[in-house]
Amino acid sequence: MTDRVRFSLCVCVALVSCFLALSFGAASTSMSDVLHSLISQGSDEFIQRIILQLRMPRMILAFLAGAGLALAGLILQTVTRNPLADPYLFGISSGASFGVVCFISLTGVSFGFSMSIAAFLGSLLSMFLLIGIAGRRHVGQVEAMLLAGVALSFLFSALTSLLLYFSDPQAITAILFWTMGSFSRAEWGTLWIPLTVIIACMTLMIAFRRQLNAMLLGDESAATLGIHAQRFRILMLLLSSLITAVLVAMCGGVGFVGLMIPHIVRYFTSQGSSHNLLMTSLVGGTFMVWVDVLCRTLLTNQELPVGVITAAIGSVFFLSLLYFRKQRR
Amino acid sequence: MQLKSQGTTPLISVSDLSWGIADKTILKSINLQLNAGQFIGLLGPNGAGKSSLLRCLYRYLKPQQGAVFLAGDNIWQISADEFAKNVAVVLQESPSQFNLSVFDVVSLGLTPHKTLFSATNADDKKRIYQAIEQVGLSHHTQQSFDSLSGGEKQRALIARSIVQQPKLLIMDEPTSHLDVKYQIQIMELAKSLDVTVLASFHDLNLAASVCDELLVIDEGQLITQGTPKEVLTEQLLSDVFGVCARVSAHPQSTSFDEFVPHITYYYGYNRQEHQDD
Repeated sequence: MTDRVRFSLCVCVALVSCFLALSFGAASTSMSDVLHSLISQGSDEFIQRIILQLRMPRMILAFLAGAGLALAGLILQTVTRNPLADPYLFGISSGASFGVVCFISLTGVSFGFSMSIAAFLGSLLSMFLLIGIAGRRHVGQVEAMLLAGVALSFLFSALTSLLLYFSDPQAITAILFWTMGSFSRAEWGTLWIPLTVIIACMTLMIAFRRQLNAMLLGDESAATLGIHAQRFRILMLLLSSLITAVLVAMCGGVGFVGLMIPHIVRYFTSQGSSHNLLMTSLVGGTFMVWVDVLCRTLLTNQELPVGVITAAIGSVFFLSLLYFRKQRR
Repeated sequence: MQLKSQGTTPLISVSDLSWGIADKTILKSINLQLNAGQFIGLLGPNGAGKSSLLRCLYRYLKPQQGAVFLAGDNIWQISADEFAKNVAVVLQESPSQFNLSVFDVVSLGLTPHKTLFSATNADDKKRIYQAIEQVGLSHHTQQSFDSLSGGEKQRALIARSIVQQPKLLIMDEPTSHLDVKYQIQIMELAKSLDVTVLASFHDLNLAASVCDELLVIDEGQLITQGTPKEVLTEQLLSDVFGVCARVSAHPQSTSFDEFVPHITYYYGYNRQEHQDD
């Protein structure tokens, strides 16, 4: 199978998945309801409202989250040459949790858009600390970045726990729910934010795709191809942090996608091929759309947290891939 | 001042180059000139500063004193891209855990020639396939780079530098961990390219047989520069490399005037010295 065929397959699967996902949910709707709502002809107004105002923005947010986190993971794994790198390893998500906890303990409010802003500010704080520490290094920058990321992540977790220890149980429930992630806050009005950030980052990644590949062979090798390796790595770290910060602020902590999807796509196509970037985001998005369907439908009248499902499905799928790959070689 | 008697600027000219880490000087005011069209070998014992010198030449380390000129231009006054269009580098193989195909690795040679959004067009693809064929990896094109053997990886990296279309190819001990067959194969491949090559060597006999010119450095200083016959003397082998050896003409040499030196090492002389005491 050539890359072009694989890519077309991914596009088809993504489109079909998005369409099917709209028909699943608490209210029973059929495929034809979805179709009629989309072309806005001869359908029940109530059902059309459910599909267009509730399910559609949610499905789009889920797709964007999956695509964005997968891209962020791909960037970080590439520029650090570390297969374990993902957006959460660098303390961005614990920074966000810290922001949310601070906000709740200071104001007592545990809902609304301002909580997303607090999460975003928390991620930014962690990101700037990381770049401030690792960005100045010219030798051993990758190691400094990974270690500083892990240390920052622990630092923010400790601060979060400390604040939680002194908070009331209601705040703790709010935090817990938030860290496990959810797409229930999706609405048309705010979707443009992740969409803009992801499209901007993707454009930059496509522009810099040769440089990204060159980083895989090492800093010195990249430098001989005319790339400022350290500067480039900081730029890429900034991009992936921005994607993660925006998504964490909107959907909470959704782990494991950024780590796993790039590896899965790598099993099927060379990372250097120009389709790889797009395929990574498509597979990530499709995966997340189905995860969200499971969240909404596994239990009646109740929603499961997204983070639980991604981690559960993801790790099992990933482990079996690792197992069967070992057998084949 | 450089001698410009023939009206040609040397391809690489190094003047008063010094470099070091902290307060330790690794390279001590090196002056040298390399002319285009030659295969130049860099020799020296471990820790002599071979890699550091090469890194200064391929614009990875910035000299603390002195400068390196590429066809008359100070390499730190031209852009990294511009430099990469003129100088390609093959390093010792770099392990990578990610699934890059041979084609992808070779196509990286286009990087300095391409602007950010430009696509890889049919011409570029033709050049990439030609380079892969030239190094004899055609049947591995879509295979993962990581699954290649050491010698094949080096050949893929040479193909990458062919795509880069440089004037100068620098190789830092490209064969140090390869079998004899591949050492010869890689070096003869590099020699067959139509570019100036500067490579560091461990194997003095291999260097003698493939190089037009040799540079010898020791303790950060340039000791001598000349043809293999001029440079590889029994005296130098003893002074710089600390070995006792006899230099003779290689059996393949065509005439005595232009013979390729062949080194035969003697063993056990340290023990003998002790017995004499």
